[in-house]
Amino acid sequence: MDLKTVLVGISALTVHSTKKLLFGKKVVITILVALFVAAVMGYAGSQSDDPLEDGTDLMDTLILFFFMPVMAMIFGSSLIRDEIDDKSITHVATAPLDRAFSYVGYYLPLGIAVALSMVAISSVGMLAFFGQHGVGSESLEIYLEFVALVVIGSFVYSSLFLAISVLFNKPILFGLFYAFIWEGFIGSLPGAIQNASVKHYLRSLGSGWVEFGDISRWDHASSAWGSAVLLLGLTVFLLVLGAYLFREKELA
Amino acid sequence: MISQENGPTPIIQAQALSKWYGQVIGLNNFALRVMPGITGIVGPNGSGKSTLFKLVLGLIKPNAGSITVLGKSPWKNSDLHSSIGFCPDYESLPVDSTGREYLTLIGKLHMMHGTALSKRIQEIVKLVEMGKAVDRKTGGYSKGMKQRMKIAGALLHDPELLILDEPLSGTDPLVRKDIIDLIKRLNKEHGHDIVVSSHVLFEIERMTHNVALVYRGRAVASGDISEIRNLIDRHPHNIIIEGERTTALAKILLDQDYVVSVSFNDSKDSVTVQVSKPDDFFNGLPALIDKAQCSVSKMYSLDDNLEAVFRYLVGR
Repeated sequence: MDLKTVLVGISALTVHSTKKLLFGKKVVITILVALFVAAVMGYAGSQSDDPLEDGTDLMDTLILFFFMPVMAMIFGSSLIRDEIDDKSITHVATAPLDRAFSYVGYYLPLGIAVALSMVAISSVGMLAFFGQHGVGSESLEIYLEFVALVVIGSFVYSSLFLAISVLFNKPILFGLFYAFIWEGFIGSLPGAIQNASVKHYLRSLGSGWVEFGDISRWDHASSAWGSAVLLLGLTVFLLVLGAYLFREKELA
Repeated sequence: MISQENGPTPIIQAQALSKWYGQVIGLNNFALRVMPGITGIVGPNGSGKSTLFKLVLGLIKPNAGSITVLGKSPWKNSDLHSSIGFCPDYESLPVDSTGREYLTLIGKLHMMHGTALSKRIQEIVKLVEMGKAVDRKTGGYSKGMKQRMKIAGALLHDPELLILDEPLSGTDPLVRKDIIDLIKRLNKEHGHDIVVSSHVLFEIERMTHNVALVYRGRAVASGDISEIRNLIDRHPHNIIIEGERTTALAKILLDQDYVVSVSFNDSKDSVTVQVSKPDDFFNGLPALIDKAQCSVSKMYSLDDNLEAVFRYLVGR
């Protein structure tokens, strides 16, 4: 199998699945989440006396802390499992493309779709909050820093939830457990246990960039570079693991 | 053609092939050699046809034995898929895509692109007579249209071997005829080797004389369909006759050498006749009815389904 075959196959799958994810039923969830974020941040913005601090904290807790893993879980944890269950995976499984590469063809559109959704949600939240106080250079900077964080987070969480979708027969249950119990609860506990969450390293990375809010004073942080390397390493590991599992999987 | 041990290279060869899912056996010590041409795989639902095709396509791996397709092992051999086209028996078309989008995706996954792909799509939709519907969403297709579009997807990359799993299932008689004609044309005019499955022997008979009968995970018979027909004809048939004065008919039937037994059912106007030579029975019956001065309102065979035939063939 030559490189051209692989790249053509991956790009075909990426285009197809990106369209399916962005224009499918899940787009309704993105819209609802964006409306919710707009309402919460809009109200908070109207009550805020220190918009840069308060706005940053809301972007951190509401979007990066809560909705980031939840949206990745919604998009990713059933992506491959749904296609196995409804058997629409047949055209991929019977294509002359090694399944390990097909897996990449699922990962890329997932990462793109989650990133675009999170950027849209972040943009709506930012406008709802900072729009009331005037969008200045500092608020724009905060927005761009969080956009960078949610894009990075999208690709890390996508690798995690896609691997879950191959590993488990009921990936949604495990995805819910991970997103809410592990990231949401364990990731908030005091002490070193919270280091075992993706969110910890995203915040650590953000603490090196963002100058306002609690995230800038993240005192449990690993170094920003250390966090970046760890997130990259985790993503690559999960991708290799997921691709291996998908290659070995029987599609009965 | 299904060959014996010697002869030209088979396109599919399975030896002592077994596949089980937990406690459920899909295939059991399955042996088959399929030669070029059209080959029918016939068996009742749940007999192992789809399991065989999944093994042929490398979607699942055997628990025991071996299988080769076009001389290669299919498990984890994605390169082999460039030589195989597969039309599954289930709904696999993406409902939110048009036929053209579906075929474009399939084409790109098979390394086709640009004007060559567009031209090929035009050729294929014309061949399967889907030219007018190719730009409609597949979710709105009828069953027959979906089958044609799945066949188009299987044909797009011009594979050497076509695997068609129950392509006639759920289609009306007119569509069936069209698909049968298409399958024959694909072999005769376009040179594709085709393996096609069905649970209806009669349908396969209209496409090919080369069949393998699969039952409970085993290939119970294979070869020319006339040999299998003979086997089936030697199968004692149970026939129920309902009408008036059937007692008189039963007495006369007992004197015939092709009648094995006659028994009365709950309704006294209904008898079950077991016959060893069904053709002789059906040929002689009008004269016997006349002789017994009875009238027959209803007559049907309990053995018209494949399940009964297969039970006979495996000696159960």
